[in-house]
Amino acid sequence: MNVKVKERYNWPVTILLILGLITVIFPLYMTIVIAFKQPSEMTNSIAGILSLPKSWSLSNFSEAMRVTDFWRSLRNSLLITGVTVVLSILLHSMVGYAIGRNKAKKKWYNLAYLYIVSGMFVPFAILMMPLVKQTAQWGIANIIGVILCYLVFYMPMNLMLYSGYLVNIPVALEEAARVDGATTWTTYWKIIFPIMSPMHATVAVITALSVWNDVMTPLVIMSGSGLNTLPLAQMSFQTQFGTNYNLAFASYLLALLPLLIFYIICQKQILNGVVNGAVK
Amino acid sequence: MRKRNKLVSLFLACTLPASMLFTGCGSSQNNSGKIEIELVQYKQEAVDVFKQLEEEFNRTHDNIHLTIDSPNDATTIMKTRFIREDYPDILGIGGDINYSYFIDAGILADVSDYPGLTDINQGYRDILEGLEFVPTDGTYGVPYVANAAGILYNREMFKEHNWEIPETWEELIALCEQIKSEGILPFYFGFKDTWTCLAPWNSLAVDLAPPDVCQQVNAGNTVFTNEYREVAEKMQQLVSYGEDGPFAYGYNDACTAFANGESAMFAIGSYAVPQIKSVNPDMDIDSFVTPGSSDPNGNTLNSGVDLQFCVTSSCVDEGKKEAAYEVLNFLLADENVQMYLDDQSAVPCKSGDFTLASNLDGMTQYIADGKMADYQDHYYPSEMAVDAQIQTFLIEGDVDAFLTKFDSDWLRYNRDIIQMVKDYNKEHGNQ
Amino acid sequence: MKYSNDRQRTFMLMTIPVVLLFFAFNTLPLIKGFIYSFTNFKGYGTYDWVGFRNYIDLFQDARVGKSYLFTLKMAVLATIVTNVVSLILALGLNSKIRFKSALRGMYFIPNILGALVVGYIFNYFFTYILPSLFNTTSILASTTWAWVGIVVVCAWQAIAMNTIIYISGLSTVPEEVYEAGSIDGATGWSKFKNLTFPLIIPFFSINMVLSGKNFLMVFDQIMALTKGGPAQSTESISFLIYNNGMAGGQFGFQSANAVVFFIVIVAFSVAQLRFTSSKEEQL
Repeated sequence: MNVKVKERYNWPVTILLILGLITVIFPLYMTIVIAFKQPSEMTNSIAGILSLPKSWSLSNFSEAMRVTDFWRSLRNSLLITGVTVVLSILLHSMVGYAIGRNKAKKKWYNLAYLYIVSGMFVPFAILMMPLVKQTAQWGIANIIGVILCYLVFYMPMNLMLYSGYLVNIPVALEEAARVDGATTWTTYWKIIFPIMSPMHATVAVITALSVWNDVMTPLVIMSGSGLNTLPLAQMSFQTQFGTNYNLAFASYLLALLPLLIFYIICQKQILNGVVNGAVK
Repeated sequence: MRKRNKLVSLFLACTLPASMLFTGCGSSQNNSGKIEIELVQYKQEAVDVFKQLEEEFNRTHDNIHLTIDSPNDATTIMKTRFIREDYPDILGIGGDINYSYFIDAGILADVSDYPGLTDINQGYRDILEGLEFVPTDGTYGVPYVANAAGILYNREMFKEHNWEIPETWEELIALCEQIKSEGILPFYFGFKDTWTCLAPWNSLAVDLAPPDVCQQVNAGNTVFTNEYREVAEKMQQLVSYGEDGPFAYGYNDACTAFANGESAMFAIGSYAVPQIKSVNPDMDIDSFVTPGSSDPNGNTLNSGVDLQFCVTSSCVDEGKKEAAYEVLNFLLADENVQMYLDDQSAVPCKSGDFTLASNLDGMTQYIADGKMADYQDHYYPSEMAVDAQIQTFLIEGDVDAFLTKFDSDWLRYNRDIIQMVKDYNKEHGNQ
Repeated sequence: MKYSNDRQRTFMLMTIPVVLLFFAFNTLPLIKGFIYSFTNFKGYGTYDWVGFRNYIDLFQDARVGKSYLFTLKMAVLATIVTNVVSLILALGLNSKIRFKSALRGMYFIPNILGALVVGYIFNYFFTYILPSLFNTTSILASTTWAWVGIVVVCAWQAIAMNTIIYISGLSTVPEEVYEAGSIDGATGWSKFKNLTFPLIIPFFSINMVLSGKNFLMVFDQIMALTKGGPAQSTESISFLIYNNGMAGGQFGFQSANAVVFFIVIVAFSVAQLRFTSSKEEQL
């Protein structure tokens, strides 16, 4: 066996995957190029879209930051997304555990499972107006109302993810803890919750992405409060009779950066979780 | 109950910072005896002008504090605020079917006692009256500015080739042939965005169909199959002078193409000029009224109320209405109207000596003569998607199928309004 | 006995508050929406009761019928494409490759971009780049092919997330399974079919439901790409419900549409969940 360590890599697959990246990089290239151009450089031809900008000036970015009141909108977006993600992980994993452990044996839990999961299919448009009225009556036509709505909107999917993941976690682990005298509550937070961390990362990513890019919920729930999230502020690039794609794309790229950082952090989490899983 | 406490504290830990951060922001202004007036207006593109006006007003008024809000997607925001019964004092909206709905829902107050109304061009006041589903005694909006639609043309290109401005349909077709023979594209349409289909449609319809055709149909006096046939046929003819595959390109593409001299004309409204100029700031654009009729005197300018101010019915007590009128007086002051016109290249609804943008040169005579009629699509319910129906018709090319569907859909989507009109007519004993 | 009491009480305490929250922000507004479906409510102002008129209209409305057909065929194709591609991608990204985490990161980017910006980019792509490469007209302008454009964009964006879920599924497959498998001589397709796939069925079912649901409710991509055109050939159900219900004045009618739509997909996915969970239990 005189094979070198290097050759343990599967090179054909690596190369194929790198080639496949074109489908990702090409649209991204378009976004970046358009973000740097001026409207006068946008002709209706391939060249107008793919050619490099005349100058790599950051003026689009600074203008986009001015129009969207970037730092303030960013703060609101970060706050809504952050609180929603943290609460989702805590609440949804908990209910995912309680329902997931019982739904095979107990009718009530199975019903609760189907009840919540079916909520996934309620079109938001039908909930919208009643929710607007309801949040106003309850005095939460603000950021708290928006977060509570998100917690409910993403609950079905997260519940599915958590209870699906739970199938692979043996009940024996909990029984071992019981022998040591731990209550179910502490067993959950001390043992099961950490084991589910790969799923926490997945849930965090899915929830964060959907919340971060969502326009409609903050638009209708917080309207008139004067608070903007980034996607709300970005709507000002598209008025009734004109769209400035260059500014819009610059602003989309700016809004993407925090997510990219977040993803890079979460990706480590996913990989760590895999290692933990292998150790078990 | 240790675990519950844990849960509660967990919750608080997460939500408290959120609530603390945000209670500071949304709270109302300090109320030092001033009357608070809130104006929400829907022209997001005019946000800078309104910011300036707001500052100027507050600088010059001690007793009233004005807040002007120009939110994105303002129509949705207004509707959601109505659901919450949280009404702004003044609305800045367009003269379209939403205005009709708002009157019908009893959201708007009667402003017929507002003295400034007498300065408003009667033509635009009539247009607003026409938008009411059933005639009312009151007046519910103060028209501020209008826009006009017809055909924009590249003035430089026209001069260079010695092309004449057409005054009849036959001249327009001859002109298109001429332009085509010189190797230039006459029109760029951009019909991928369905709403752009409405621009030439509206400007032909005001020439060829009676201005109150929708009310007439609602009253059961006529059908669209009779009134819109010529409009549909002429529209079809016009499209043959446009770009190849007009359904592949959107409004933005059309603006870019026209700005870059790819076509000589663009059948759209004055509202497109800022977008075109963003691509080519030095372009010399003028416009003419779409000559749909064969009689040069039979043509009408397509113009509608682009922005009007309505006082809501929640704003009637404790001197608030007077304060709202004070705000209207300020907005309608000549220098402030002029400031708006300069920024937005709009048409004023107020009579007076205003300087208009040069791209409106070809239309000023019609405005002065009051020879204008509202966009017909202001009467179309948006859920009927007339724009998409026109696009479908232009793709499939079947005039009869289009008109038949138009009539049957109209009856269905306007069922409640037609009933209202019938009840009204029965009650008032006319027709 | 004491332990199992504590366990059951804890489970109850974990579930009930969350179910109540869910009821308050999902079921309660849904019930209100259901009530509105018997009115001619515009969303604000006054309204009248119209009985079953909205439902009767719904079943006679050709536009609604067309939107169901479009949404269904689009969702089915996009679900298949997305799941096949992302499963292959996940297998690739989970194998022993160089630059593993960088590649995983790159393939995730489509999901970070918002649906609107993706729509705009592909709009340029379909309108200018593709036609000049193949000398055709834009597929978005064709009433027969525009829906395929929507499928491409939806799949392009959804593949990233599904891949992540498949990767986390594949990571739960213990190494020993493979080792045992290679001793038996299982390779390639048969290894995947007999060893790997059965173990990731829960993730497969999650992905099927997830992508199926997202595609059935497609909205943003349509707004950015076609706005329902050309010739109303790409009007999805959500597009109609939102555009005519909220932006237009048809809230009552579109609530009826939403109720019917809800029942249809719940029935559909309960069947699907039953099917996959019976598969899971076989293991």
